[in-house]
Amino acid sequence: MIQFSQVSKRYPGGHTALENITLGIEKGELVFLTGHSGAGKSTLLKLIAAIERPTSGAVTVNGQNVGRLSRHAVPFLRRNIGLIFQDHKLLFDRSVIENTLLPLSIAGFDRREAFKRARAALDKVGLLNREKSMPIALSGGEQQRLCIARAVVSRPALVLADEPTGNLDTGYAIDILNMFRDFHRVGTTLVISTHDERAIQAMGGRVVQLDHGTLAAEA
Amino acid sequence: MNGWLAHHLASFADALRRMLRTPFSAGFTALAIGVAITLPVGMYLAVSNLGQLAGGLPTQPEISLFLAGKASPAEREAIQRKLEAHPDIEQRRFVSSEAALERLNAQGLSDITAGLERNPLPDAWVLTLKQSAPQALDTLRKELSALPGVESVHADSIWAERLQAILGIGRMLVLLLSGLFGLALIAIASNAIRAQILVRREEIEVSRLIGATDRYIRRPFLYYGALQGASGALAALGILALLGLALQGPVSQLATLYGSPFRLTPLSLPAGAAVLGAATLFSWLGAWIAVTRALRKFG
Ligand SMILES: Nc1ncnc2c1ncn2[C@@H]1O[C@H](COP(=O)(O)OP(=O)(O)OP(=O)(O)O)[C@@H](O)[C@H]1O
Ligand SMILES: [Mg+2]
Repeated sequence: MIQFSQVSKRYPGGHTALENITLGIEKGELVFLTGHSGAGKSTLLKLIAAIERPTSGAVTVNGQNVGRLSRHAVPFLRRNIGLIFQDHKLLFDRSVIENTLLPLSIAGFDRREAFKRARAALDKVGLLNREKSMPIALSGGEQQRLCIARAVVSRPALVLADEPTGNLDTGYAIDILNMFRDFHRVGTTLVISTHDERAIQAMGGRVVQLDHGTLAAEA
Repeated sequence: MNGWLAHHLASFADALRRMLRTPFSAGFTALAIGVAITLPVGMYLAVSNLGQLAGGLPTQPEISLFLAGKASPAEREAIQRKLEAHPDIEQRRFVSSEAALERLNAQGLSDITAGLERNPLPDAWVLTLKQSAPQALDTLRKELSALPGVESVHADSIWAERLQAILGIGRMLVLLLSGLFGLALIAIASNAIRAQILVRREEIEVSRLIGATDRYIRRPFLYYGALQGASGALAALGILALLGLALQGPVSQLATLYGSPFRLTPLSLPAGAAVLGAATLFSWLGAWIAVTRALRKFG
């Protein structure tokens, strides 16, 4: 489903975040992306969603070279990907349900159907009783779960999660990991970046380790 | 409800809500746009009112036709028949040379006329026309000059021509001003929208990250722009109504002094609708430019 071929990414300013990465991820796989801070985990995920473009090499998703997508094609790629950001990226002037509705509104869903799906997604992450709250009123773990609800509400085949359990205590982290396990069971392809060793042990997926922008080891 | 339609409605409602939430800045922008619209539209009103005034004044152009002293009675009769049958001539009056002389005497010039050996004045026809257009006047003048027995024809059209020329300049000015202030309106609208974009930058970025097209992101801003233009147009119409109210009294007083029933004519309904439409469109365009530029810049 995802193929990296000799991909390098150099940011403007000369810093090389990824160097000569070749990597394949199959449909339905669960992949953990690990590595020290600054190893290039976020950069790798951004390349998949065409948020960044490779300096050299090719990233293909479902056979599409996403580094070469036109400006008009990028939104349609992203609609098929559920993105969970390291820094949440919630809209703090919209309620929980409005945040969850956003991807459906963007995709042009029928309004009533959209509400039904948004409620189902919020229910799945245990936030249905908070649908009218503003995100500012949510705890860190609840905000993270709202991110997950927004990422999965349009039922994407691929979910990219950047540190979804970062700075959460163990109880919350396990909750969230269990949600990912459910998505994995229904066939969603998941790429999750994390420092969290416990997570990896508990879930037992494939592990891809980055070290200073290069592929260090696979387990 | 269809999602696309729902987003249009939501965008419109969102734009309206944002406008109402910041009544002062929205009000000032509307005022700035309103003033930019008031100038060309006010000028248009001034010109059209002047045109109306000119049309209503009892100064229909006259033509004086002087007969040659040696014109034969047959020629004189032919001329009279021609003038009576001519479709462009409203009224005709024969002024004999004697009558003309008497008029001069009556005007206090008898000292001069008394010294004359014989009456130097020709017989004449004074004609008023159905049409006041300068061209019509000119064609008729040429036609009559060519008749046998006619010495000369004087068309008293200079006044009408001058007024038409001035009104022509006025109309041209209205056009130029409209273009200029249209540009100003686009700039004002675009600037106001830029402020909106900065406030909502995060929302734009997040929407893009989760698959929003440029068109989707632009939509609420375009509605905001359109609403802003419409409120500016309403402000302009309000300003013009107040100006009209303030001028109505003095103008009718002046008109009464000249014995004219002239009253100021306000903007017609279609013209008002056109102003509203144009302002909405221009402000929408300003919004479009601002958002499109911002989207390019965000990458
Ligand atoms: N937009 C950017 N411009 C310049 N350099 C960047 C940019 N984004 C990341 N980098 C650099 O690229 C390297 C890899 O960054 P990246 O965010 O991918 O690391 P990471 O593995 O996600 O780290 P963390 O675990 O701290 O999130 C870092 O050295 C970072 O400083
Ligand atoms: Mg990161």
